[in-house]
Amino acid sequence: MNVDTSLVTKSTHYLSGADRISVPCRIPTEGNRDNVLLARLRQGDEGAFAELVTRHHSALIRMAMGHVANREVAEEVVQDTWIAVIEGLERFEGRSSLRTWIFGILIHKAKDRGVREKRHVTFSSFEAVSDEGDEVIDPSRFHQTGEWAGHWALPPQPWDDQTPEKLLASQQAVNAMNRAIESLPQTLREVLTLRDIEGVEAKEVCEILKITETNLYVRLHRARERVRQTVETYMAGGSSAV
Amino acid sequence: MAKEEVKEVAPDITCQEVAQWASAYLEEHVGDERKHQITVHLAICAGCETYMKQIAIVRDTVGLLPKWDEQPSDAHRLRQAFVAWVHRSPSGK
Repeated sequence: MNVDTSLVTKSTHYLSGADRISVPCRIPTEGNRDNVLLARLRQGDEGAFAELVTRHHSALIRMAMGHVANREVAEEVVQDTWIAVIEGLERFEGRSSLRTWIFGILIHKAKDRGVREKRHVTFSSFEAVSDEGDEVIDPSRFHQTGEWAGHWALPPQPWDDQTPEKLLASQQAVNAMNRAIESLPQTLREVLTLRDIEGVEAKEVCEILKITETNLYVRLHRARERVRQTVETYMAGGSSAV
Repeated sequence: MAKEEVKEVAPDITCQEVAQWASAYLEEHVGDERKHQITVHLAICAGCETYMKQIAIVRDTVGLLPKWDEQPSDAHRLRQAFVAWVHRSPSGK
């Protein structure tokens, strides 16, 4: 598996969006690309359809897997979604983006299939995750009482500036991160998939999942924190544990 | 982008709170007062600054993980369905 680490800038700055690592899929002209693609699809351009499938198929599979029992069923659901997309192209009015529309169809079909199968799904998907309540970060890392209550007792140890490159260059780290993502409960996995992996704008993620932005960030942070813990273990040299 | 509803923000903020707000802060989904509190806190707290950077690294790195090179298991059937739709569709050519 090849990773183009040239995409990674020297260090990750956290406050300015402009300084973020360049991610090709975060191109702000998604809407324009959609319009061009839609016009080609409606003209019967098979290449445009192949392009659409290539662009979204993996994310659709990931999303479907949160709702159904296994990968085989997920593939069936995604296949049905593509058929529904083809049949609905003529009626698609462009009130949402093409991507939002496609993911909406997928979620509807996956939920329906999941309910019909009585959700014979993995344990992680059943894990109860509320947007409030449970602590995001292990509370034992903070002082519980006294003058320093709520402040770090076990602060995170700094990672060096080359961390993204190191992680992406290590198959073990890549596998560990993928496993961490796959084991996320469905509500967390879907926000991380759409926002951080697919680069979908926050507003569009909320539209697709029908959640508020506040809920989005709560879930997104829970998801990122779980992946961060995996990376923390890896960086601390406990790679056998990840 | 919509921001958090304006509520009374306590004068001090703990590391635990900063850590919980990390993603909302990174995505600028916090109110001005809380943003100021967190920014000031980050300037004096190495632990929180490290934590915030780590969440940013995770955010950016998962976006660069090698994509699953997925293709539909029955791509041929999909292509046929598309071609059939083109023939049926009044706008198809």
